[in-house]
Amino acid sequence: MTTAPQVMDVTTLPSNDNVNNYTFCVDLNGQWFLQKGKMIAYYGQIEFNGVGHGHLDRLVATSFHSPLHAADWVVAEGSGKMLLADRAFDVNSFDLEDGNLTVRSGNLLAFEPSLSLKQSIIPGFLTLIGTGKFVAASNGKVHFVEPPVRVDPQALVGWADCPSPCHHYDHGYLKGVLGGLRAMTGIGGASGEEHQFEFVGSGTVLIQSTEVLMAEQATGAVPHEAGVPGGGQHGGQHGGQQTPQLPGQLGSLQRRFGL
Amino acid sequence: MPFREINSKMVEALVQPGQRLFSQRGAMIAYTGDVRFTPNSQGGQGGLMSMIGRRVANEATPLMTVEGAGSVMFGHGGHHVEVINLDGDTLCVEADRLLAFDGTLEQGTLFLGSDGGVMGMVRGQVTGQGLFTTTLKGKGSVAVMAHGGIVQLPVTPDRPVHVDPQAYVAHFGDVRNKLSTALGWRDMVGRGSGEGFQLELSGNGAVFVQASEEKL
Repeated sequence: MTTAPQVMDVTTLPSNDNVNNYTFCVDLNGQWFLQKGKMIAYYGQIEFNGVGHGHLDRLVATSFHSPLHAADWVVAEGSGKMLLADRAFDVNSFDLEDGNLTVRSGNLLAFEPSLSLKQSIIPGFLTLIGTGKFVAASNGKVHFVEPPVRVDPQALVGWADCPSPCHHYDHGYLKGVLGGLRAMTGIGGASGEEHQFEFVGSGTVLIQSTEVLMAEQATGAVPHEAGVPGGGQHGGQHGGQQTPQLPGQLGSLQRRFGL
Repeated sequence: MPFREINSKMVEALVQPGQRLFSQRGAMIAYTGDVRFTPNSQGGQGGLMSMIGRRVANEATPLMTVEGAGSVMFGHGGHHVEVINLDGDTLCVEADRLLAFDGTLEQGTLFLGSDGGVMGMVRGQVTGQGLFTTTLKGKGSVAVMAHGGIVQLPVTPDRPVHVDPQAYVAHFGDVRNKLSTALGWRDMVGRGSGEGFQLELSGNGAVFVQASEEKL
């Protein structure tokens, strides 16, 4: 434990490692993608350009596959040491080796161009594919768990290698006469844990330490096509009740009475 | 010991069949295995009378019962979490600071006025404890939330501890606490030190203090 703040210079700053829990130092020699506004300081000769800027076109084409949200990203180019941070959230770097990882859009800070960034089929998530390093922020430290696991929707940061999650509902306590009464009147309240994301298969799930979400970043729109989730074109008429029934709602009563 | 600290803001609890634990509603981060979460309208243990007692005392924080077989991760609101292991002692803590606790612990409500009379009530107002506080007694673990990290300060008969009422989190053991005032004419003219009220804890046990003066 040092009592005075540690003084860092260009030689003592860590190389591609955390300076503290909240700051990450990139040893830049070439190019990195970063989300706008996440650079807090740098040493050396670094140029920041918006994605889509002139000579970066080729780079964007190879490792940036979502031109629709290109406006939120910049390319840092040059050599030096660059410090990244995001609103005092915990920051961590992760290495992918010929892998794939899907992460909540607001949590991704920066990544190496050897990785390619794509929109996930799940709205609000981005997928990184390839080999390289990326930096992500989380509200509280990231914890890794292996499936099978069920995760609070707000605590999910991302997942790697395993299939995309599905919804899971815990309504066990709403069974029976008392449960039915509870479901209809809302007396007794809800546990707040009726809904989780369920992961199966082999892989790794990343969760943050709290259920307080970080602000979401726009991931760009997807083409308006039939069969594209979030594309705005519904395949057909919705049948029946689409949203899950929660305590306090009249639930299926309306339907039973034909309302 | 069923709680394991994963990091400063998250704990993991092992749930075994036949054992249950209580946790604040909505504080589950993730779980594996077959675990059920049931809202507990009584706000904890005991019968109907305990529930009414807690309602009257305003110590009825929404809890849920966690049962089954598996492991559950808890964390809430980005607050720091501290696991306190009790070995037959009594822990006094505000109900809304409880993240999760063993079902084996005996839960009760304590009237602060009985510990110091009128000054006890004033103390309750200053610390934000109100007139009542929750007690947990027995052998088991408690996960307590705090804004900022928690420091444990031992209280011995010859060494009473003074803490800022806003930074007070919990205490256990045979500890008496009273509000000591150091108000003078400077406070009256608005030139006080801002530390006019202090909580003085004396006896034998320990007090937990958070590294912040912000209440939960």
